[in-house]
Amino acid sequence: MAHFSFNLLHSLEPKRDSYGFALRPQYAQTYREYSSIYKEEEDERSDKWSDFLEQVAESSEPTSENEHKDTLKAEPESNEVREERNPHKLSNGDDSSGRQFSELEEETIVVRKSAEGNEIIEETIQDRVSKGGDSSDRTTSGGTEIKEGTSPGRVSEGDDSSGRNFICYSATGNNSGKEQHHSEERKTCEVQRWAEIRPSLITIEEIFSSRIKKGKQMKGGKINGINVHLPSIEESEPVDDGINGSRAENALVDQNLPELFSRWKELESLVQGGVPKDLRGEVWQAFVGVKKRRVESYYEDLLARDESEEQDVSSAAFGKWKKQIEKDLPRTFPGHPALDENGRNSLRRLLLAYARHNPEVGYCQAMNFFAGLLLLLMPEENAFWAFAGIIDEYFAGYYTEDMIESQVDQLIFEELMRERFPKLVNHLDYLGVQVAWISGSWFLSIFVNIIPWESVLRVWDVLLFEGNRVMLFRTALALMELYGPALVTTKDAGDAITLFQSLVGSTFDSSQLVFTACMGYLAVTEARLKELREKHLPSVLDVIEERSKKGRAWKDSKGLASKLYSFKHDPGSLEEERILTEGSDTVADGNVQLESHSSNLDEMLNSLNVDSEVGSLPHLQEQVVWLKVELCRLMEEKRSAILRAEELETALMEMVKEDNRLQLSARVEQLEQEVAELQQVIADKKEQEAAMLQVLVRLEQDQKVTEDARRRSEQDLAAHKFEVHVLQEKYDKAMQSIAEMQKRVVMAESMLEATLQYESGQSKALSSPRTGRVQSPRFENPTRKVSLLSFGLGWRDKNKGKPNAEESSESLHDHSSPRKESDNQ
Amino acid sequence: MGCGSSLPDRDSRQLGRPNSENGGGQDAKNLRVKLVLLGDSGVGKSCIVLRFVRGQFDPTSKVTVGASFLSQTIALQDSTTVKFEIWDTAGQERYAALAPLYYRGAAVAVIVYDITSPESFSKAQYWVKELQKHGSPDIVMALVGNKADLLEKREVAVQDGTDYAEKNDMFFIETSAKTADNINELFEEIAKRLPRPSVS
Repeated sequence: MAHFSFNLLHSLEPKRDSYGFALRPQYAQTYREYSSIYKEEEDERSDKWSDFLEQVAESSEPTSENEHKDTLKAEPESNEVREERNPHKLSNGDDSSGRQFSELEEETIVVRKSAEGNEIIEETIQDRVSKGGDSSDRTTSGGTEIKEGTSPGRVSEGDDSSGRNFICYSATGNNSGKEQHHSEERKTCEVQRWAEIRPSLITIEEIFSSRIKKGKQMKGGKINGINVHLPSIEESEPVDDGINGSRAENALVDQNLPELFSRWKELESLVQGGVPKDLRGEVWQAFVGVKKRRVESYYEDLLARDESEEQDVSSAAFGKWKKQIEKDLPRTFPGHPALDENGRNSLRRLLLAYARHNPEVGYCQAMNFFAGLLLLLMPEENAFWAFAGIIDEYFAGYYTEDMIESQVDQLIFEELMRERFPKLVNHLDYLGVQVAWISGSWFLSIFVNIIPWESVLRVWDVLLFEGNRVMLFRTALALMELYGPALVTTKDAGDAITLFQSLVGSTFDSSQLVFTACMGYLAVTEARLKELREKHLPSVLDVIEERSKKGRAWKDSKGLASKLYSFKHDPGSLEEERILTEGSDTVADGNVQLESHSSNLDEMLNSLNVDSEVGSLPHLQEQVVWLKVELCRLMEEKRSAILRAEELETALMEMVKEDNRLQLSARVEQLEQEVAELQQVIADKKEQEAAMLQVLVRLEQDQKVTEDARRRSEQDLAAHKFEVHVLQEKYDKAMQSIAEMQKRVVMAESMLEATLQYESGQSKALSSPRTGRVQSPRFENPTRKVSLLSFGLGWRDKNKGKPNAEESSESLHDHSSPRKESDNQ
Repeated sequence: MGCGSSLPDRDSRQLGRPNSENGGGQDAKNLRVKLVLLGDSGVGKSCIVLRFVRGQFDPTSKVTVGASFLSQTIALQDSTTVKFEIWDTAGQERYAALAPLYYRGAAVAVIVYDITSPESFSKAQYWVKELQKHGSPDIVMALVGNKADLLEKREVAVQDGTDYAEKNDMFFIETSAKTADNINELFEEIAKRLPRPSVS
């Protein structure tokens, strides 16, 4: 739902800033202009912080082993919470946009609170039942109001804080059914409302927790026997060792760790540059020392206590605070998406728990805004401990019934203003405007709802880091420096204040404000403020004492002090009274009246101070001091101007880069088009390549076919050659045979002629010798016939394969027969 | 704060005139009046001022921390213009410690209560006594019963307010910042009761 509503908000004219806070229409345009600057700054500081945390993790790992062990021990308890947060971190890793993370963070808050829906409903019902007729705003519906008897552990004697401790124990010692219910509730609360900060910030937390340890020791020394609930016992004065102006720095020096000191200096620079959105909630916890302050189950016990268990006196006050809280809940950041019913219930629980935790303060209007802010950045119980640290220590005495420290700070601020901006203060005096009219609400609200939210958060970054209220004064002085010159031209109190408020509300340049404050007022230190507090506290106490007394005698004796107080802090009223009395007003008369006021002051001072001669020397000394301060101020202004010039140069370079980016983006578009075209060409070529591949495949196939054919041809050729060779050999043999046969033919013819000659001779001769010779030629004739036939058959068989063998055998036969004939010869 | 303001709203008749308390003549007089609102938390002090200065009603107004400032100028029948410089104070009880800063030197005090809340009427009486002790002797005081539109929830009778105002030399009026009833009438009546620098 939150995400959806944010989308709608972004599409429309921005009525809320990126944190979900209401944005006034006249500032919408300015905010849009600064949105891009904020985004760039956010990206830059995220990188710086990542680098810093990596370096710290690498260099400080050995010293933080114990902390890691503690983390591992605590892990089972907060396992579900971590699992719940994992998607959150993953999303952050994917998207570096701080704004979206802010939305997701708020969405997570909403999701977490909706997860508690059932219990919240139950608690709400219980609250209604327990309130009964106390609530004039609500109508109790359903259920019978059950009043429980007085708890056996209730103590009405002794120290209020120790009584509260007893009540804590007795609350857990009630009947078993109730105990089970509470234990179940506690388990759920612990899982959902408390979470450890990420490991990379443990080193920072370790450093800042050391200043709390000192406080605890001092408190422990004062109060004996109660060690478990130290955080619940707070002194009216802040435990402050900041001789050097910062507790953290002092702690580091005491620890004698030069490396950590240099890290601290680097961290200071980063903090003044702003804490990244996605780290802010956890970094603030580290600065305040939430983990160190925490006492397990303490918060749940505060919530679990019933109203009837309160002591009579504190019960009446508590009822008053409770009623006021109910009035103020819907008027705390009205319409903010994270402060829906569930968010409001968390806010109620936190404020009620704190009222029980510190009855000296209870609830004071303004605290609702601080608690609401912290709940937007961290889980509920973490927010409670951060809130307790801020109200109990940073702003101790500010929000008590008498608001003593708040009044003292206004006197201090006026003195600082007269030192630094005498012309402006003189002009305000002339107009009848008191400085405290303007700055009073600044300090009480810690600039919430005074300056734009980006600037509020930047101021709080430094304030929580330093551990004291120095940044409060520096920021106020910076605002006077930035906008004071515009007031000097005004001639009317109303116009002056209206103009100033408008200018202050338009302080969207958060870096300018923070750097002006941090670099321009180095002389405003915690040590200086302590001195001034001691100086101005008595007069505030006197006024309070006077108001509390009703006797005339007391009033008369303090009459002079009252008049002096009145004159110091409200010269305009006296001036106005004279104007009304005299009935005429001119510039000259005004001057005369101012002089007369001055003479009155002198008379009062003379009457108070017997030795008038001594006054001249301090006056000269004051002048010397004033001149020194002026010199320091001028030097600081020079430094500030140089810093501002550097900032402007950086901004200019960024603008140049931005212009270049536009050109580059155009080129990128062109290149992308070219790439698209090239991709098309590549696609086409790939198609061609595919086609060519197919052709090649076919060619290869054809080649194979051709190759096979060629091989067959070669084989055939070889075979033919072989056959030719064989035929050649046979031919040769045949020719030889023919030659031999010719020889035989010749011999046969010779023999035939001889035989014929013989026969012709014998026909004439006797009969017995002739018969034997005739038989022998007949025997030879069949042999010749057979050889001729075989020879003829051989020629026929040459055309066939098989007859070749016969031919060869015949040829052998022929070969052997000539031998026989030769033998016969 | 919700009561933060932009550039001052000026009456058209005052444009072009020198912004000075020196009356040019008998026909026109310009008054600057510091006015402080006091009263219990949540009775509607900030809503009254916002309705008067900007003609708006914001049902989700924020809690006032310390005090907030708005100014508005009105013109009367006799050509007198009155510029109210209005300090709207925080209503929680402990802020009474800071109230002297704002009501000291104030020419007018508007003490507001909620007609649906007897408790706020008691608180208003406290403020009347406080101002009688420590305020300017000639301060003009107005008693205002706000949220008059919530008639069905009324718990403080009109007669109670009237009687108390008469007894303490104040003038009384019931208003509704929500419906704008009697808001302008309140400030006009205050302007009429202001002492004039000179009577011609």
